[in-house]
Amino acid sequence: MKARRMLIAVVAVAALGGLFAFGLLRGEPDRNLPSELIGKPAPSFDLRLYERYAGTYGEVLSLADYLGDKPMVVNFWASWCAPCYVEAPVLQSYWQEYQDTDVLFVGVQTQDRGKYDEGRDFLNQFGLSFPNAMDDDSRMSIGWGLLGVPETFFVDRQGRVVHKHIGPVTPEVMETQLAALLE
Amino acid sequence: MTAPLVKRPASGRPVWLTVLVTLLTGVTLAQDVQLENRVFEIAAKLRCPICTSESVADSSVQLAVEMRQIIQEQLSQGRSEAEILAFFQQSYGDWILLDPPKRGLHLLVWILPVVGAVIGVTALLVLGRRWQRRSREPIDVDPEDLARVRSELASGER
Repeated sequence: MKARRMLIAVVAVAALGGLFAFGLLRGEPDRNLPSELIGKPAPSFDLRLYERYAGTYGEVLSLADYLGDKPMVVNFWASWCAPCYVEAPVLQSYWQEYQDTDVLFVGVQTQDRGKYDEGRDFLNQFGLSFPNAMDDDSRMSIGWGLLGVPETFFVDRQGRVVHKHIGPVTPEVMETQLAALLE
Repeated sequence: MTAPLVKRPASGRPVWLTVLVTLLTGVTLAQDVQLENRVFEIAAKLRCPICTSESVADSSVQLAVEMRQIIQEQLSQGRSEAEILAFFQQSYGDWILLDPPKRGLHLLVWILPVVGAVIGVTALLVLGRRWQRRSREPIDVDPEDLARVRSELASGER
């Protein structure tokens, strides 16, 4: 009887100790959370475009003009964000390949208050030719549920968010998601 | 020369105007402080999206500052706390709330501690009663041992 009680106590302490060790050693919690927006209509925005795009797209880009009409790739970036520099050439090369289809790429500089000059440098460095706008007060970060930058949303022809990619996009991600958008 | 109808302080402003301005400024300041407190109360219930383990009230990153600005705007528009929290849940889901909502699977987090406490208290009561009952029961003692104790006690008294 005594030995059985002892065994139960040892097992209980070992279980608690194991749980404690797991908590200590598991590291950072996974932040690749699924977006709340998946399957829902993409939030619209009206943002002032950088000068170089005004000729083609007008001074202000109103997402509502394209939502429900064209499939879209909406990419959020910041001038201070290193992975954004990694993905910019990938985005530009896919834009060049797909700009004759009806998909529209839109870049949004966010969480980067007042950094217009740095934004222009970024756009010039990679020669980004798809429209890019400044979200100076980061309201779009909040509206789109961003956890950081870069994040890229894929919006279907019906204007619904179908996929969100956290971190720099890769050619594999672009191939798969663009194929799904243009199906 | 006739005396002025309203007594003026050295600055030349009537006293009643100074009092009124001071009162109004006081009321406005008090309202501002109250609004700011409400903003921080609500912000403390929201998780900062880009910093780890910090509330929107505690964080100084641009996104958290902007979220506090949104809370202030919505409070000024007369929105309730529930409506403001729901606004952020729209884009971030339940994840944005530091206190899990009291529904669905989240209910477990709220119910389990209470269930644990009830089980613990009940176990203590049951054990306590058992120990009490046992202490009242006559103890079975070997008559030989009893005789020995009695004789030793008696010899010790000398």
